[in-house]
Amino acid sequence: MLLLGLICSGCGSGSWGRRSASPIGLGSSNRQDPSLSGNGRLLASVVERGGRDTVVLQEQPSGRLVPMRHLQRHQPHRSPSLSWNGRYLAVLVQQGSRRLAVIEDRATGALQRLPLPGDMEPERLSLSPDGRQLAIEVLRGGRSRVQLFDLSGRLEPDLPAGLAARGGGVPESPP
Amino acid sequence: MSRWQRRRRHALMGLGLLAGGLALGLGGCLGEMPVPMAGLDRQLEQAGNSQAPALSQDWLALIGGRGGRDQVLLIDLRSRLPVPLPGLNRTDAQPLSVAVDGSGERLALVRQLEGRTELVLYRRALMSVEPIAMQPAGVPRRVSLRADGRELAVEVSRGGLWQVDLIQLP
Repeated sequence: MLLLGLICSGCGSGSWGRRSASPIGLGSSNRQDPSLSGNGRLLASVVERGGRDTVVLQEQPSGRLVPMRHLQRHQPHRSPSLSWNGRYLAVLVQQGSRRLAVIEDRATGALQRLPLPGDMEPERLSLSPDGRQLAIEVLRGGRSRVQLFDLSGRLEPDLPAGLAARGGGVPESPP
Repeated sequence: MSRWQRRRRHALMGLGLLAGGLALGLGGCLGEMPVPMAGLDRQLEQAGNSQAPALSQDWLALIGGRGGRDQVLLIDLRSRLPVPLPGLNRTDAQPLSVAVDGSGERLALVRQLEGRTELVLYRRALMSVEPIAMQPAGVPRRVSLRADGRELAVEVSRGGLWQVDLIQLP
């Protein structure tokens, strides 16, 4: 098995299927912070819109934009993370002077705010595919550390066997 | 009940309703603090500085470090213990971003090694590290992996622009 691994490690990766994420229109040249849903049908990323870092959600592979109810404000956005079917999108937003972790439930349109103690500044986050746990990298006293939070009492699980969540409203088309 | 008593009772009820409304309003604005998972936090505390978390099903991948040396850690959330990653962590490499698939079998890692930044795919069962070239050439930074480990999304710097590449994995 180890030999097979070594042989594989010598193989080139040039033949692997590759593509760039679908463009989302003019004025959005930089794209960062990609996050795939567990099933790979949605891609969240952060693009510059009107000079502000804004999270966008796109179906894959069509690139069709999927609307979100709450995430048009409170930029800059950073570190988006999707659940299995993309029902939940967790992301860091700016609220006043504080950075705040929020989760948009695309099935119900609800927004969960997840404030942290005042001495903790969230830097990055990752939502478990089922939506039951959230890992947040926080800065506290000049030190970074990852903290895990239990969301099982707040979010319904988004499981692989479940139906894909539908967004509210009419999907936007890329210009 | 006298008129004075009724007025006092109504005033108290009004105050109670006002206080309840304020509490609900503030709760709606600020939200409730999430519940920390204490057992795992102690485990993470022992890892020293930790950053760049990536959750997938029963696995948490992150970059942890003590004494200025960062390395990739993979924690089995069922046992709450780190699992070995033979062949992945090198003393001369600086990990930048990591992602793990749902089975904890594949990890995608962006790291700096010998003056360049590279994206690699690590297979735990094979203990293999396979570089994934950027085409066209670019400098990778953050990576995300689909739960079945068959596709990744990576942020790449090309000519001063940040782009996102999607790469199918065999």
